[in-house]
Amino acid sequence: MTDAKDLAESAASADPRTGLRAALALRRLADSLERLQVVNARRQGWAWQEIADALEVSRQAVHKKYSKEM
Amino acid sequence: MFERFTKPARDAVTAAQTYAAELGHDRIGDDHLLLAVGSSTGSSAARALADAGVDAAGLRAEIERAHGRLGNDDADALSTLGIDLDAVRSKVEETFGAGALGSGKPRRRFGGHIPFTKDAKKTLELSLREAIRLGDRSIGTEHILLGLLRTEGQGHAALRALGVDAAALRRVLEHGEAA
Repeated sequence: MTDAKDLAESAASADPRTGLRAALALRRLADSLERLQVVNARRQGWAWQEIADALEVSRQAVHKKYSKEM
Repeated sequence: MFERFTKPARDAVTAAQTYAAELGHDRIGDDHLLLAVGSSTGSSAARALADAGVDAAGLRAEIERAHGRLGNDDADALSTLGIDLDAVRSKVEETFGAGALGSGKPRRRFGGHIPFTKDAKKTLELSLREAIRLGDRSIGTEHILLGLLRTEGQGHAALRALGVDAAALRRVLEHGEAA
């Protein structure tokens, strides 16, 4: 993985193993980022409903997922 | 308390700290103790786990998954999409401080002390109780594993996720030889 061209070729790889692993890593990254931002939003006094609206999910979904971590 | 531990058991406790650090976790959990006993080649706990179909690599992967942390494998995978995890991490840390992203990156903590989780302490306490209950003079890796099963924390959850029958494993450990 030395330059942009190599990266592009790898991203376009038809090998499912590479592609699926990348999708998994991306989901983990997104989950980490979401958790961090939800905690921060709550600390700043955001209501669950506001957070839910921003994430475009239901209030119940976001509350269920994160309320225990507050 | 540790003076009653056998050498393999003591080594496993030390190794648990190394594994927690390697995985970038900021606490030594009962799951890291599980990884440590599972990795202690030749120990009775590792043999019992192997017989139950569990190996160190499987344990490690399950622990990483359960922590939902981003490890080096994730960084490599993200790089194939042109995403530099280190760059994302440093951006986030600018605002939220070190380790904010739930970093799986090994942190260099030379001589650093990582605390045990509540369940890890409970596991070690219960390992002593298991040894006493079984009439054993010293605490071996099998007692740590028995304590861990009784604690029902993250280590137990990892074993369950790997399809281990806890009751069967307990029976094997209670009747096996000490190590």
